[in-house]
Amino acid sequence: MGSWMKMIKELTIRPKGERKIRKSPSYSFDEDLNKPLSGETVKEILSKSSDVVFREFLLQGKERIPCMLVVVDGLVDKNLLDQFVLKPLMVDLVGHPELAQVTLANVIDKTMESLIPGIEVKKISKMGDAVDSILSGDSVIFFGSLTEAIVVGARGWANRGVNEPIAESVVKGPHEGFAETLRVNTSLLRRKIKHPSLRIISLKLGDMSNTDLVVTYIEKIASPDIVSEVLLRLSKIKMDSVIDVGYIEEMIEDNPYSPFPQVAYTERPDVLAGKLLEGKVGIMLDGTPITLVVPAILTQFLSVNEDYYQRAMTAILSRFVRYVGSFVAVVAPSVYIAVTTFHQEIIPTDLLMSISAGRQGVPFPALLEALTMTVVLEILQEAGLRLPKPIGQTIGIVGALIIGDAAVNAGLVSPLMVIIIGLTAVASYAIPYYDLSLAVRMMRFPLMILAGILGFFGVAMGLYAIAIHLLSLRSFGVPYTSPVAPLRIRAFLQDTFVRAPWWALKRRPQLMDVEEPRTNGKG
Amino acid sequence: MERISSHQFTLLGSAVLMGTTFLPIASMVTGVAGRDSWLSVLPGFALGIPYGLMVLALMEQYPQKNLLQITEILWGKWISKIIGILYVLIMIYFGGLLLGQLGDMYESSIMPRTPIEMFYLGGLLLVLYLVKSGIEVFARFSEVLFPLIVFALVLNIGLSIPRVEQGELMPLLSQGMIPIFWGGTKIGPFVMEYILFLAGVLPFLSTNKGELLHLKRGLWKTIFLVGILNTLVVLIQISVFGPSETVNLVYGLLVLGKMVEVSKTIAGVESLFLGVWFAALVIKISAFFFAVIWGLKSIFNAKGFMCNLVVGIIFMGIALKFQKGPALKIEIGFVDNYLIFPFASVWVLTLWGMSYWKKKAGVS
Repeated sequence: MGSWMKMIKELTIRPKGERKIRKSPSYSFDEDLNKPLSGETVKEILSKSSDVVFREFLLQGKERIPCMLVVVDGLVDKNLLDQFVLKPLMVDLVGHPELAQVTLANVIDKTMESLIPGIEVKKISKMGDAVDSILSGDSVIFFGSLTEAIVVGARGWANRGVNEPIAESVVKGPHEGFAETLRVNTSLLRRKIKHPSLRIISLKLGDMSNTDLVVTYIEKIASPDIVSEVLLRLSKIKMDSVIDVGYIEEMIEDNPYSPFPQVAYTERPDVLAGKLLEGKVGIMLDGTPITLVVPAILTQFLSVNEDYYQRAMTAILSRFVRYVGSFVAVVAPSVYIAVTTFHQEIIPTDLLMSISAGRQGVPFPALLEALTMTVVLEILQEAGLRLPKPIGQTIGIVGALIIGDAAVNAGLVSPLMVIIIGLTAVASYAIPYYDLSLAVRMMRFPLMILAGILGFFGVAMGLYAIAIHLLSLRSFGVPYTSPVAPLRIRAFLQDTFVRAPWWALKRRPQLMDVEEPRTNGKG
Repeated sequence: MERISSHQFTLLGSAVLMGTTFLPIASMVTGVAGRDSWLSVLPGFALGIPYGLMVLALMEQYPQKNLLQITEILWGKWISKIIGILYVLIMIYFGGLLLGQLGDMYESSIMPRTPIEMFYLGGLLLVLYLVKSGIEVFARFSEVLFPLIVFALVLNIGLSIPRVEQGELMPLLSQGMIPIFWGGTKIGPFVMEYILFLAGVLPFLSTNKGELLHLKRGLWKTIFLVGILNTLVVLIQISVFGPSETVNLVYGLLVLGKMVEVSKTIAGVESLFLGVWFAALVIKISAFFFAVIWGLKSIFNAKGFMCNLVVGIIFMGIALKFQKGPALKIEIGFVDNYLIFPFASVWVLTLWGMSYWKKKAGVS
């Protein structure tokens, strides 16, 4: 009984302190990593991996010094290493007065000062640093029996390049998106904010994956409390591997059992730059184009950066459509159930007769009819999502048109039900964030059941319960429903349901007690 | 420690004071003051201003304390315990009756075939969720929902204007001022319900000078906003139904909602309005639930999930005992007029008087 309870506790309660997930096993070389640096030990540790290359050569200085360059094949730019490391040391500088002065005692300093012309060259003296550097794509040169080595930054691997993100495409605005390489992503961000106050703090996560991670924010705009909270929560994560930001998201969000996303994400440098300029904090991870943005508030999930690129009036209309769409996506099936089952009096007689005629012969109650159709819709969405595009489209057509039409003709569902479900599906696509759209999909089912049991009372009850849940959420200390509740009047009026013209956005949103004025306001 | 802002105080206070007063108010006041009853609503609510200011003055003098704790400071442990027990009993009983009203309202108006217990359970679950989430979330809930409640109310009034019959309000003051005074006394208990909630919420309010001014302004806004809205409610019902019919209709506003028809597209929207006003009742019941919890904590230091659950069960039990509309209405009237009104008016006034005297006399 005790062990069961312990297991249930482990599965349901997130620990408050350090979050140790899948601790990595201990290895025979763990102790070696703390020993003084030595090329031979590194070779011992890494020689079992066929992708690690050990290039040994002799440096013809005052003394003949045996050297070893260690790299991981596929993670380095071989051409760069050949041209600017091996060729100068082995060919070009042979007989040169600089090289002629090199002895084992001064080889590291001399090499860094005048023999290797690279930008990223640094000295290391720890075994752990050497192994980390090699496995991260850097090149390490060992000199004889010295307990120091040189790291030369010549990373280079095949990558996807900067493309437009599929999930966040825009009509008006920049089309570049983040890639899987962290440094490419930070450079894209740096190109948007060329100011020294942009802070990029590097961390590493995952005992085995050793994934590079960057926390980025703008000093004096981001709240220091939030920045330190982000760093604190990240420091508590003890995992063996971090493959995607999804791993981090669940570990740092405030309420892990809420269906609503509490951490925003983006694949676009312009969106990230915009959010950082509002005082938020970005978390970028190597190996994924998705960047997390915290704190996140509900209304943020219903606005897109394109709102700021269009004229204010157009942006207001787009936002209005999104808000209406998300509301319809949540309540349309449940309202249909409530009206047809309990509250026919709300429908004028003509319309009621038309609805009744449509439902005549349908063998199922409205609740069952709606639930079945919604489940079918969910299956179609899930099936079409990961299929190749042409097949996905076929699934859509087969599902929506053929099955829908056949079901109506067979008298299994009413035509109005098909319209309602279609409307719900279309409306849910108006939600720009996939995570929020998933939450909305999840909310739909309990609301439908409540509507089937208690009519509008049930729908109201469900909606109020959702409201209470949303109102109790926080993201990094910021109320999730801010600036609506608690009301921040300026933020509410200037950039929530409506977006004021740029000349009226004189101050940044008051989400995090940041009162730094924007500099673009007129007068 | 949770905190609520002055803006939240205003909206939370308005939502608690408003509750669902707009449903029975016309029938109650018109029964006493006749066709001029709408004139007695705002003066009746104005009683809340001196009482509210007294409570805020006590808060200023004894910051971070609720009225029960202030009572203990001023009158000693045993008297405060007796008053505390009375406070809890009244609040728990009235909260249960309000839960009963919720079920009665839904069962009698739009869903007569659904077991009334389902409405009790639904309402109670929401109240428990709100109480578990804390006063900050409760304040935010009111902040979001109160404007919607007002919107639904104004919409109902606005859509009923075409049915107004001219001459129902005339002649004005035909019976003189006396009926208006008696009409005003019917409002008193509503005000005291709010004052009793205010008595418990004090520790969550900020007591610095600037904020106190905002709170006082918030109090005035609350009283006037709710007073004016309820005046409009009484006015429209008398204008549409006439005074005698208004007295007979317990939930007259819902009948108005039933009569609404917009361009042959939307009709009988009272079920939609009821959906919104459900929030008003949930807020009001939650306010009483919170008051009970604060009271129990002050007197017996009882708190936690089990305490909430027990209070919830008692609420449910009281609601189940008074299921029938007329009995419920009589009981609510009895508690309002003979328990809440005398208890709150005497307690707050005496407490404030004593604290004022002590302050003047320089007694610590």
